[in-house]
Amino acid sequence: MRPTLLGLLRTAYVVVSALLVATLLPRLGVPPGALPDLVLVGVVATAVLRGPVHGALTGLVAGWVVELVPPVGHPLGLTALVLMLAGLAAGCFRNPASRSALRPVAALLVAALVGLAAHVAAAVLADGELELLDGARRVAATTVAGVVLLPALLALDRALVRRRLG
Amino acid sequence: MPSTARRRLLVVLASLTLVLLVADVAGWGVADGVRRAGGLVLGPVQRVLSGAPDGGLASAERENARLSAVVNEQQHRLDELGRLDALLRSAPAAARSVVAARVVATEVSPLGGRSVTLDVGSRDGVRADSTVVAADGLVGRVVAVSPWTSDVQVLGSAGSVVGVRVGPAGTLGTVSPPAPGDSEARPRGSLRLSFVQPATPVVGDLVRTLGSVDDTPYAAGIVVGTVTDVDPDRGQASRTATVRPAVDPDAIDVVAVVVPVSRSTPRAATSTGSSSRTAVGPATGGTR
Repeated sequence: MRPTLLGLLRTAYVVVSALLVATLLPRLGVPPGALPDLVLVGVVATAVLRGPVHGALTGLVAGWVVELVPPVGHPLGLTALVLMLAGLAAGCFRNPASRSALRPVAALLVAALVGLAAHVAAAVLADGELELLDGARRVAATTVAGVVLLPALLALDRALVRRRLG
Repeated sequence: MPSTARRRLLVVLASLTLVLLVADVAGWGVADGVRRAGGLVLGPVQRVLSGAPDGGLASAERENARLSAVVNEQQHRLDELGRLDALLRSAPAAARSVVAARVVATEVSPLGGRSVTLDVGSRDGVRADSTVVAADGLVGRVVAVSPWTSDVQVLGSAGSVVGVRVGPAGTLGTVSPPAPGDSEARPRGSLRLSFVQPATPVVGDLVRTLGSVDDTPYAAGIVVGTVTDVDPDRGQASRTATVRPAVDPDAIDVVAVVVPVSRSTPRAATSTGSSSRTAVGPATGGTR
């Protein structure tokens, strides 16, 4: 498998957005409850064009990047598995025949809800606590960020594939 | 890549992740190695990023904007210096050897509580299980250290239990986050105090750390919080109470990490008056 421009761009997007969400946005005054999950937006942009298996793979790898950005998550690997499930769910929305702008956003919403549900399940299993309101606000913030970002990411992806750089 | 190969790769990677997850929950050393590697590679980038907004302001083209940026910067530094000064003069940091640090990243764990990353690491003398204090009292303890950064488990995270002494009498107890099976409703962010032996706490009692050998993981005598509410007596063996932490975990900025210093001079025995008997030792307790 040779590295492509699209692959490099995707990796860069995941690393940069993971650092943004952990370090820069909270310093710029974004409240922690309203932080959009920018990494999830990138995973969904890939999954909705490539299908469930590719989406799950991207989600797993991106989840590991998020996990390794300090503060390193606890328990290690939970975020990776949750993002894998989210990518799998978003991949089920793939439909090469459709170019509707609503479809990726719906996939993002479903993926974010899958992530929230997985976190709730982990919290219940491990006797942890979870602020459901905070979770819902994060899902909303992620969806809003997706409405802005997803069309641009999808257009870039399609343009690169058309020029045989993907 | 054909889709079967991709599916196989997915299964392999997912199983590896699951193994690491189990290893981490079970407390094996592999997970700590992965943690340290993450901090080693990405910690420096975070240090740069956390200073980036100031640099952006300073390079503003218009003179007016530049000057106001300078003023803001000075004010920010003054505030920070003031906080650092207050921290170093405060009771928890005075008479201890400490390393001052800033919080560069925070994360709210899905299992409850939060952890923060500080911009000091093993190169600055920080070791795992060091106590972290702010001007008002206890913040938490260091759980993972990389050369330039360290992760801190903040008081009230799942699994953090602190041995404490309560009130003027110094009754022994433990402070932990409210458990799901707790019979009492406690306000968000407050902690649960339970006693080792039967004792009745009073609202307003100060809760201080009990301390451990070599000041790890918690140094002795640091303020943890105040008793705000005592649970009603339901015939249980020991009473429980609600404690409001002295430090707001949402607003931690400048903190100090206590660096343990081993004692080299023996503690002198105190003689009492003209009698030839000497005291066995100061009854300070609390270190064992």
